Amino acid sequence: MNEEVALTPTLKAVLSEFDGLRYRYTSARRLRVDLPSDALPAMLELLQGRAGYAHLSAISCVDWPDDGDFELVYHVWSYTHQNLVSAHIRIPRDPGVYLSVYDLYQPAGFFERDIHEMFGVYFEGSPDMEKFILTEWDGPPPMRKEFDSEGFVNDHFTWQEYRPEWLEEIEEQGGGITTRPEDIRL
Amino acid sequence: MRAENYEAVRQPPSNEYELNFGPNHPGIEGNYALKVKLHGDQVVAARADGGYLHRGFEKLMEGRLWIQNLALVPRICVPDPAPMEVCYSVGIEDIGGLEAPERAQWLRVLQLELSRMASHLFAFGGHAATTGMYSPMFWGFADRDLILDLFEELTGGRVYHIYNIPGGVRRDIPEGFLDRVTSVMDYIESRLSDYDNLLFTNQVFVDRARGVGTLNQQQALEWGVTGPNLRATGLAFDVRRDDPYLVYDQIEFDVPTEQAGDAWARTLVRRKELVESIRIVRQVVERLPSIPGPIRCPIPNPLAWNLPAGETYTRVESSKGELAYYIVSNGGDKPYRVHVRGPSATHAVQVLENLARGSRLEDVAQIMFSLDACPPEVDR
Repeated sequence: MNEEVALTPTLKAVLSEFDGLRYRYTSARRLRVDLPSDALPAMLELLQGRAGYAHLSAISCVDWPDDGDFELVYHVWSYTHQNLVSAHIRIPRDPGVYLSVYDLYQPAGFFERDIHEMFGVYFEGSPDMEKFILTEWDGPPPMRKEFDSEGFVNDHFTWQEYRPEWLEEIEEQGGGITTRPEDIRL
Repeated sequence: MRAENYEAVRQPPSNEYELNFGPNHPGIEGNYALKVKLHGDQVVAARADGGYLHRGFEKLMEGRLWIQNLALVPRICVPDPAPMEVCYSVGIEDIGGLEAPERAQWLRVLQLELSRMASHLFAFGGHAATTGMYSPMFWGFADRDLILDLFEELTGGRVYHIYNIPGGVRRDIPEGFLDRVTSVMDYIESRLSDYDNLLFTNQVFVDRARGVGTLNQQQALEWGVTGPNLRATGLAFDVRRDDPYLVYDQIEFDVPTEQAGDAWARTLVRRKELVESIRIVRQVVERLPSIPGPIRCPIPNPLAWNLPAGETYTRVESSKGELAYYIVSNGGDKPYRVHVRGPSATHAVQVLENLARGSRLEDVAQIMFSLDACPPEVDR
């Protein structure tokens, strides 16, 4: 969109090191970079070392089952240039293994652990791939698109109708919940 | 629940012992646990244990309409819910190519700053309580209640406001509201000297908090620390100023810093931010009457709204640090993916573990409260 925003010379030098890399400014301080997955650790190393992108804001994972891919997005922020680079890579869903960037950015440890738990992506070299949130969960990684949480609930739990006495008393007087839940259409 | 997770573990004889700190403990914010290994009262290892507040928000959001999720997002962080709404709404506006009218943006700033103040009053009151001083906590809660009264009047909700919608805010200010905001601001400002006497310059508290949980600027940057905790190490970075959103670029405020990087410095930064927030709210009160216009832009039928395909990464400065939403739309009426990056994702796990290691047991609670870690934000 905002193609006229100029890259800083260091950023331009870093990005020109890689083949098959595309970038565009999505707004004044947001640069989207798409690159092959094997080039990402090297690019982050250059971004951090040469261009001053010291802060890993987050790693996001998006599941694209139709393409057979996981998309990993590394958001890095530069305190000096006040610019955020979002580096997008795709890795195959099967086997879903990628390299850890923990030795570059320590916060990656938690984000990788979270993605491992929720999507089942394994990060080689990450210091800690133990479960954090779903300690007692043996099922499939729940954030994958094929995991249907509502279906899981229907299979494993029974619905209970909630009709306390006080509600019936109110209803006898003409009040209470007049629309049945199944009649609510959104 | 599995029995083996709750059984005593036989250990070889050792001078070290393990202690479960939480998940139900007055020194822990929310339901969260730290498993600490102790030698005497010295912490030799600490491991964060979360998940007690996991409600699966990110998954739930994928199954609900764009607009329905507004009732979910504030619940991701209980003490400071406003930035969640704003961040999510701004993200939708970004993908959908909408722009909130100027008046709505000022109203959002008002909501955000009031929420920041409420959260800070909560945070340093809680910090004081971990050192055995309960009066600042009660005072903070009582003063926070005045802000909640304002929220109730403005939005209808005291804790969860659900005030924002994509494209603007739900309602305009009631008659005479700004006068009441001003009087609450004057009152809180007049209370600051009392807080100073009771807490911030109280030698008991200063001695107790100084030198506890110290991190220097380099460590803070390496560990991904943001917000007041980063500013307490001397780096003046604030998303509001350096990556501005809404109308923050038209507002005058300073980014207060401290140098020491310990629990005391972190709390002092929050106290200074309270002053800045009062300053911002006063500017909003002054400017708002002269800003005409609608409080929201027209949006399609929210019950059948297919947002164009796209993605965005929106960031705001919450009271705890950098809050970001990564939102992906595939052109449907529901989000394809929402990733919530709360500031506590770093503060409550790696940073807390690192700072707790080597500290003394009685300081662990203080470290957690001084980081203002918010467990529901980690668990989501």
